[in-house]
Formats: sequence, structure tokens, C-alpha cells
Amino acid sequence: MIEPTSTSLWPLLMTSMRRATRRPFQYVLFVLGVALGVAMMVSVDLANGSATKAFQLSTDAITGRATHRLVSGPGGIDQELYVQLRRELGYTNSAPLVDGYVNIPEFGDQPFRLFGVDPFAEPPFRSYLGGVGAGDGGPGQFNPNALTTFLSEPNSLFVLSSLAAENGIPLGGEITLDRAGEMTTVTIAGLLDPQDESNQRALSGIVFADISTAQEILRMQGKLTTIDLIIEDEADQAAIEAILPDGVRLENTAASSNAIQQMTAAFELNLTALSLLALLVGMFLIYNTVTFSVVQRRPMFAILRCLGVTGGQLFQLILVEAVILSLLGSLIGLVLGVILGRSLIVLITQTINSFYFVVNVRSVIVDPWSLGKGVFFGVAAALIASFFPALEAYRTTPGSGLRRSTLESKVEGLLPKLFGAWIILCAIGAGLLALPGRNLIVAFAGLFAILIGFALVTPPVTVTLMNWAVRPMNALFGAIGRMAPRDITRSLSRTSVAIAALMTAVSVIVGVSIMIGSFRGTVVQWLDQTLQADIFISPTSATANRVEGSLNPEVVSALTEWEGVTASSTARVVQVFSPQFDRPITVAGVNGDVSQGQRPYAWLPDGWDHDDVWNALATGDGVILSEPLVLREELSYPPEPITLETNQGAVDFPVVAVMYDYSSDQGMIWMGSDNYQAKWNDTEISTIALFIDENGNPDDMVDDMRRTFAGRQDLVINSNRSLRETSIDIFDQTFAITSALRLLATIVAFIGVLSALMSLQLERKRELGVLRATGMTLRQMWQLSFLETGLMGLVAGLIAIPTGFVLAWVLIYVINVRSFGWTLQMDLQPAYFLQALAVALVAALLAAIYPSFKLGQMIIASAIRSD
Amino acid sequence: MKRTLIFVAVIAVAIAGYFFYQSQSAVAVPAAASVTEFLSGESSDAFARATVPNNIEFPRDLGSHPDYQTEWWYYTGNLKDETGREFGYQFTIFRQAMAPESERTADESEWRTSQIWFAHFAISDIEDGEFYAFEKFSRGAAGLAGATAEPYHVWIEDWQVEEQADGRVHMTADAGEIALDLMLTQTRPPVLHGLGGLSQKGPTEGNASYYYSLIDQTSVGTVRIKDETFSVEGHSWKDHEYSTSVLEEGATGWDWVSLQFDNNAKNALMLFQIRRDDGSVQPESSASWIESDGSNSYLKAEDFELEITDWWTSDATGIEYPAGWRLTIPEIDLELTGSPKMNNQELVVSAVYWEGAVEFEGTLAGEPVTAEGYFELTGYTAP
Repeated sequence: MIEPTSTSLWPLLMTSMRRATRRPFQYVLFVLGVALGVAMMVSVDLANGSATKAFQLSTDAITGRATHRLVSGPGGIDQELYVQLRRELGYTNSAPLVDGYVNIPEFGDQPFRLFGVDPFAEPPFRSYLGGVGAGDGGPGQFNPNALTTFLSEPNSLFVLSSLAAENGIPLGGEITLDRAGEMTTVTIAGLLDPQDESNQRALSGIVFADISTAQEILRMQGKLTTIDLIIEDEADQAAIEAILPDGVRLENTAASSNAIQQMTAAFELNLTALSLLALLVGMFLIYNTVTFSVVQRRPMFAILRCLGVTGGQLFQLILVEAVILSLLGSLIGLVLGVILGRSLIVLITQTINSFYFVVNVRSVIVDPWSLGKGVFFGVAAALIASFFPALEAYRTTPGSGLRRSTLESKVEGLLPKLFGAWIILCAIGAGLLALPGRNLIVAFAGLFAILIGFALVTPPVTVTLMNWAVRPMNALFGAIGRMAPRDITRSLSRTSVAIAALMTAVSVIVGVSIMIGSFRGTVVQWLDQTLQADIFISPTSATANRVEGSLNPEVVSALTEWEGVTASSTARVVQVFSPQFDRPITVAGVNGDVSQGQRPYAWLPDGWDHDDVWNALATGDGVILSEPLVLREELSYPPEPITLETNQGAVDFPVVAVMYDYSSDQGMIWMGSDNYQAKWNDTEISTIALFIDENGNPDDMVDDMRRTFAGRQDLVINSNRSLRETSIDIFDQTFAITSALRLLATIVAFIGVLSALMSLQLERKRELGVLRATGMTLRQMWQLSFLETGLMGLVAGLIAIPTGFVLAWVLIYVINVRSFGWTLQMDLQPAYFLQALAVALVAALLAAIYPSFKLGQMIIASAIRSD
Repeated sequence: MKRTLIFVAVIAVAIAGYFFYQSQSAVAVPAAASVTEFLSGESSDAFARATVPNNIEFPRDLGSHPDYQTEWWYYTGNLKDETGREFGYQFTIFRQAMAPESERTADESEWRTSQIWFAHFAISDIEDGEFYAFEKFSRGAAGLAGATAEPYHVWIEDWQVEEQADGRVHMTADAGEIALDLMLTQTRPPVLHGLGGLSQKGPTEGNASYYYSLIDQTSVGTVRIKDETFSVEGHSWKDHEYSTSVLEEGATGWDWVSLQFDNNAKNALMLFQIRRDDGSVQPESSASWIESDGSNSYLKAEDFELEITDWWTSDATGIEYPAGWRLTIPEIDLELTGSPKMNNQELVVSAVYWEGAVEFEGTLAGEPVTAEGYFELTGYTAP
């Protein structure tokens, strides 16, 4: 063999280009596989990133240059503390803030942060008030009149100029602030026109008011939400800490915003994992097409080897092709991903708003890093998937000639190894899942190992199933029926990959469907058990699933003394800081249980029953923890007392029970209302549950109550039934993103498999030509195609059932518990499996139509002529 | 004193500038451009005006007068440590109403106010030729800033002047590296300027202020400059003035001076001169010649002559300020020449003006005298 004088790949690439123009289909498939996988990944990444970025920007804009802040429990900080800071310590690097959430119907009824500031204290912290324009002059032109109005006129607001313009509100125009149903008409006294893009974005979810206006609108007279501080040395910090009353805490701004962001980490990781599954399916498609391209070019490669091209050059050729095509696919994927991301962001924001924190995301922030990551993964996936086919090309010997069976015989030799790989990967997966701790990435690695294991076992299982199928197929369809399974086995190197891809996609559908279904079933059952009261009243709030504000005391007494009401249970729901977990946690001060003893407990002290627990709550310091809190914080049983920051300083509360709860993955704590009121000096009521006498009709009573309180928009009155419906709606809304991703995964798989099977059929042109030449009718050819793809779909569907089940098991018992701390009852319904079979079969059968049609039109003579 | 005119402008500039200067580099220009808008924005008709002589009463009028748009408590003083090292200080708390006070409603926030308070604090370290100036802003609400008559207390956050149980007044201003802590003892009855405290600034009725001074207050305490703390003694001069819209059209600025003489009669002089855009002096400019018992003679513009003998140009702003004077008051046979104890006593905060320690010498009725005090120069602009 003569060593080539030039190592340039160019001449070889020219052959690829010629091939691409003559047989574009394979290349299109490759590009599509990459594009779809990358699109999924990028869209989820962008949507996650946009939500995070929006949160971060608004947090940064709001935090400004503050390094620390003073915060307190419910009810806020007495403003005297600020006056003391200024007058006694002379601490000028301090700024008082009063803020809360309001809905603004004129601005698309989104939640906005009403940010009340003292402009005199602001300069060291935030600079945007300097850019208040009159809306007519140039940007950033200072308008003292606007500031005068802002300070001295009640209900004056500054908003972002582009926000006002988008919604057609002029300077001096009026908008409505809906704070938990209480409407306030406010005037736009000034327009903020920050010069840089990120401030524009950051301020788009914020409206500014003078601190006096904010106190009035948010009903926080005499109180502050936080006091921002810039602390540069420890002496200052010590001086400030020395004057802090009990219940007020100094926190580091970076640490706290980080902690808030951490809340969504598990949620976002779950979405990312789901999007990676799409890339995995994409990899199968790529592997399939590259293998094809190598097999088909084997004769040419053999000739090239004769001409002195080295195996290494062929190896390079395949990989360079993969890089070029995957780059093209990735670019298309990026475009698709950005478009898709726009829709996903809406769903993600919905979930974040109901479960975690309020974020107002108005657009996808296209982060170059996300795009770069998408391209990287697209190319990397293509290279990995092309590696084995490239190796195959490398091993081409000049004499290997036209024998296609080489590869197939190799695959057959691989079968036992693949079986072994399945066992090893499943063992690795199980091992990873069994590792102690709450690491989600490890859990997902385990999940992926198992999934890949099942994909690898597809070829041996296919062979076995096809061997079994020969006899019954023969009985049913005769010779054609006998041919179909044998054809599949014979081209196993390609058929099995298509089957594996289809199987993986379908198993994801099965797994995720079982998980969502089980989740929903568990929540429905939990609602049935715990919501035993007849009527529920809460204040309206800016977002679903979040209790904000409190009920008017007159309303509370009117409702509890309503005719026909036999008993009532009230709750005060607030966020309280836990020094033990170094984060805020939801605490409910309750009198009485709304479940009337029906509630299931995850843990009770030995010998205790429901009544013991609630007596301990009513008469003592005892608290109940929610199961997610125990799991999240990795508490052991029996739980040690829980430390919370109260108005009397840090207090330890003994734990008297752990109960299931699906309302928050951050965890919750319940305590007796007397206990709560004593520790936090807060007698407000957030929600009431009413029990009515047996003869009463809750729906009628709800109507009566609504009529009586018709003028009050700050009340939500629900019957038991409607509350359950609302709760399920929130659940469904929350899972909208997961369902959407499942749907996307299905579509990706469907398109991918469709095209893979299609190419498989199209590549049989010569073989079918021979069959046609030897007397096969068109009808028989159609039959053969359908039988083959149908069998492949069936095999994929069958393997997807156990795989999907294992996936569901892992999702429910490992991933969910680690991500959210929720224990779910697995709920298996035949529908999930039938659906999987149906998807696999339909995809497979559809894939036969176009090739059969195309092959039907072929000229037999030209088909059997050797290329 | 007479700072009224320009002071209203200074205040407006200051307020505007304060909000502006954090965001953009150009501080003065856009802010100054909007001053007239700011001043014309709020009708001053709704505020009370100074029109009645002999209207000031003590201690009632030591506190704040929110019915008037503008008010200040203005302390200046000349101090020395035991080695004779000289210092000057200025500590002023201003109040400016954006709108007249309205009735408070039941659920109104305690932060709601139309009163803006701010303070200027400056120390002149004569020996080192260093000048330090600071400012502070606050709303007149929630207890952050205010003034009461009984006990006398004027404060903006931790900068304050507060009457003690023994009747002395404790002044504290701490700007971090620089701080002042003085105990002031009153030595004479208050001086009512103009006509029984009604100090006319222009021909229009109401273009005047209520204006009294507590002069020659014995001052003992400390001046802290970075790591050094100096025990000091000296005398302070307090002006308290409140008014609404005092300046006539065409007024461009003023020169004001307070002097404490070292003669046996312990004479003192307050003089202000409002400059007009045509180069003339506002005829209502006036002076008070004060005797040791606090009685004073009201001198009109035609009774004195203030001649500028030297100029100094600020490196920081390029503004040219008078830096030497010859003052003649024939009626009392006073002839003085004077100059700043150091040239750079220019405040460059939200507002820009010159306020500094000065010394004068000359003859009074043929006898040699010396005097020291403070000079204020406003409305000067860069060429």
C-alpha cells in the first residue's frame, strides 16, 4: 500500500458531497436528528434560564448595591428601627423599603412588585430614580416636578416608560393596582427610562412608589418590609446587630437571593433531564443514519482503500461528516429551540409562580451560553453516535468488497454482549439510585444508565421475539409473513437501532404518564382526605397556590358566626425564617384540623393518634412537619425539635407529627394558633374553613355569603367541591410543562422513528426489486412493508412497557422524592401501556406508507442493477 | 441674613441635583436648568409670607414654621485649639416645603410629607488649608428630621442641635472622617434684624423673611479631622430665618457677612447685599450694627459700601469669588479691610457656593479693631 503524500481530507469530502446531492435523504435525517434533540434541549435551557435571569435581574435591580438587609417575620419591621439606625447610629448606608405584589389589569393582569422607596435614602443603593423623565424630553432627563408629585401626592407611581408605552398608558394616566382584591387607582407620575437593556428588563416587573404610598396601598402603616444596608466593615455590622430587636435578622443579600433561586433548582433539573431524553433519542437516529451511510459506502470505501486511502482517513472522514452535519443540525435546532422556548417560558413561569416565588418574565432571554451548550451537545452527541460506524469504516479492508453481511454477522456476535451490557448498565443504574443522599444528578445518571441498558438489550430481544414470530406469522400471512421477521433479524444492525429509538421514546411516554397519573391520583386522594370542611375562605392573591395577606377581622367574625355554621377552623399562613435550615419556611398557625381526623400521617410518636397530635398543637408548643420538609432537610425519625426565629428570638418547637402534604416542596410547619400568636404577636387570619350542620347545603350557603360580601373583591369563598376542583386545576397547570415536554418528546420520537423506518424501507430498493422481479406482486410488497414495520413497532412497544414501568418507578420513588420530597402511590392503568403500544404501532405503520408508495413506482430493472 | 433669594434657588438646585447626581455625570447643568421649573411648579401663594414687624416670639419661634416655604437654622463659627490652631465651621439645617401642609387623614402613612430637609456641614482647617464639606437629605417625616421649640431641637437624622437641661445647646455633626461636637452657651438676647425681625429683601410686600440671630455664643467642644481630635473653643453665630418667595426678579445672588469684633463693646455686624443682573445692588439690602446688649441699628444699603479688592478662582468649579473686601460704614465711622482665612472654602455639594471664615481689621471711631466671622457668596458662576 502506498502512503498518500497528502493527508488532506478534501478529496474524500468531495465524495461525501456528491453523495449528499444524490442521496440527500440520509443526510436530512442526520440533520433532523440533531436539530430535534438540540431544539428540545435549548428550548428548555432558555426557558429555565430566562426565568432564572428574570428573577436575578429583578433581584439585582432591587438589591442594588445593598450587601445586607434587615428582615423580620410576618408583619414586617417596625419603622422605628430605621429611624433609630439613622438618628442614633447615623448609618446613612441604609434604605427603608416597603414592597409587595399587586396585579395590574392595565398591564396584562400580571403580578408586579410594588416597590416603595424613600428617594432620599436611595442614592447609595439604586440609581434609576435619577432617570425619571417626563416622557417628553430626552431619556434620563431629570424632572423635579415628577419627583415632587411622587413624594407628596398620594397614589403616585413611577413605571418603566416602555411598559407604559406598550400598554398605551400615558404619563399622568391612571392604572389600577389590585392588591389581594383591593383596588387602588394610581397615577403615573413619572416614567423610568434606564439606558441599558438589562435594567430595562429588570424593571419591567416592578412599579415604584414613594414609601408613604406603598405603606398606604399595602396597608403597612408604621412597618417596613426590609431595611437595605451597605456594610463594609465588621464594626458597623456589630453596631447594627447590637440594636436589633428580637425577630429582626440581618441577612446577606447574595446568600438570600441564592437561597431563593435554589428553590427551583430541582424543578429545573427535572425539566433539563426530560429535554436530554430527546437528545438521547436523537442520538439513536444519528447512529442509525451514520451506520447506514457507512454500510452503503462499504464498496466505495473498499475501492478507496485499494487506492491507498488509509483506514484512519476513512475514520476521520466519517467524523468530519458528522461534525459538519451536526453543526448544520445544531444551527437549525437553535432556531427551533428559541421559538419553542417562547412557549415553554409561559408554562415554566406559571409553575414557578404557583410553587416558588413570583417572577415576571416577559420574554425569552437568548443566552449565548445556552446556545453554545446546545451546539456542543449536538456535535458531541453526533460524534459519539458516529464513533462506532466510523470505527467500522476504519476497519474496511480493501477486500471486504460488497459483503454487507459482514456487519450483520458482527451484530449477531454482539448479541450476548449486548445482553450482558444491559445487565451491567442496570446494575450500575440501580447502584447509582441506591446511593444515599439526595443528589439528583446521580439519580438521573442512574435513570439514564437503565434507559440506555434497556435500549441496548433491544437487539437480542428483537431477535428472540422475531424467531418466535416466524411460525405464527407464517400461519397468518404465509410466505410473506415468514419473510418479515427474518428480514428484521437479517438487517438487525439497522432495524434494532430504529426499534431502540422508538422504544426509548415510547418508554419515556409511559414512564412520565404513569408518574403524572400517580401524582394526580395521590393528590386527589389527599385532597379527599384532608379537605373535610364544607366551605373555605381565603384572601385573593397575586398567584395561585399562595396565600398572601389576611382576612378582614369583621369578615372573619361574620363568617364564623354565620347561621348554620357549626364549627370553624382558621389558619394564619406566613413565611418565617428558620436559623436551623438557614432559609424561610412556611408556617401555619391553625386552630383545629380541616380533615376531621381523616388525614394520613407519615410519622406519629409511638402510641399517639390524631387527637393526641391536635391536642398537643392546641395546648402546647408542638408542631407538625410536612413530609417534604423532613425529606428535604434529611431529618431523621423521630424528628428533633425545630428552631424558628420568633419575635422572642430563636425558639425550639417539639415535633409531634409528620404529615403528607403536596402543597409545597419547600416544606411546611403547622402549629397551634395560640402558640403562633404568642410567638409572633400576630393575630391576623389568612384562611377560614367552615363546617356546616348536616342539613345545610354548602353551595347555597356559599352563594349567600358571596351575595353578602359582594362588594368585597378581596375574598375568595369556595365550597369543598369547588376548592378541590381549583386545587386539581392548579395541579394540572403545574404539570402543564411536564405534559408539554412529554408531548414534545413524543413528537420528536415520532418524527425520528418515522424517518428512520422510512429510510430503512427505501434502502431495500434493490432487495425488493429482486423480489418483484421474481414475481412478488405490488400488494404483497405493501403487505411485507407493513408487516415489517408493524412488527418493529410492536417489538418497540412491548419492550417499552417494562422499560416505561422501571422509568416510572425511578421517577416516582427516587427522582420525585429527591426533587420534591413527595411520596406518591404508584397508580398503574392499562391505558398508559395501551397508549404506548398504539403510539409505537402507528408510528411504525405510518412509516411504511411513503416508502411502499415510492417502491411501488420503481422500475424493477433499474432497481436491481447494481450501483 | 439675606440669603433668601439665592437660597431658594440653591435649595431647588440642591434637591434636583441630589437625585440627579447619582445617575449621570453632568450634575449641575440639567439640574440647574430645571430650577425655574421647580420653583414655578408650586404656587407660593398658598404659603404664609413675612409681612409683620415684631412678630417673632421666644421660645415659640425657635422651632419650625411649615406654613412658610423655606426655613433654615444657620450656624457658623470661628474656633481655636489650645495651641491657637484655627478652625472654621458651618452647620446648617434647611427645610423646604414642596407644598403647603394639608390635614392628615386617618390611615395616612407617617412617611407622607411635603417637607424636605437637608443639611450642609463644613469644616475649614485653616492651618492645613483643607476644607471639608458634606450634606445630608431627608424627608421631614417619621421622625427623621424636624425642629421643635421647646425644648429647642433641630435635627436631620444624627446631625443635630439640641437644647440640654442646663439651657446650653449641644451640636453634633458626624460625617465619618470629619466630625464636630460643640456645646454652645448663649451670651446675649436674640438680635432681631430689619424691622423687629422682618427683614425686607425687595420692594414687594411679603418679599421678606423673619430673621433673628443668636450671636457670640460661647462654643466649646471638639473638631475631629480623620485620626486627630482637637479640643476647641470659640464663638458661634446662629441665624434662623423663614420666608416664602423672597427674591425679586432680576436678583442674581448675594454677599452676606457676619463679624464679631474684639473691642470692649463687643460689637457685631450682619450685612447682606443682593446683587442684581444689571450690576446694581438691591436697594433693600441691609445691615445690623449690634451692641453688646443685643440692641441693633438697622442700616440701609445706602448707609454702607462693600468694595471687592481681590478675587479667587476655584480649581474645582472655575468659579471666581471675591476674596478681599473694603467695608465702610460712615454713620458709625467704621473702616475695615478683610479677607478669607483661606481661599478654598467653596462647598461643592448638590449646590455650589462659598461660605468661609474671614478676618477683618481697620478702625472704629478712629480706634483700631479686628473682627472675625463668616462670609457667604452665592450666585457666582463660572465664566
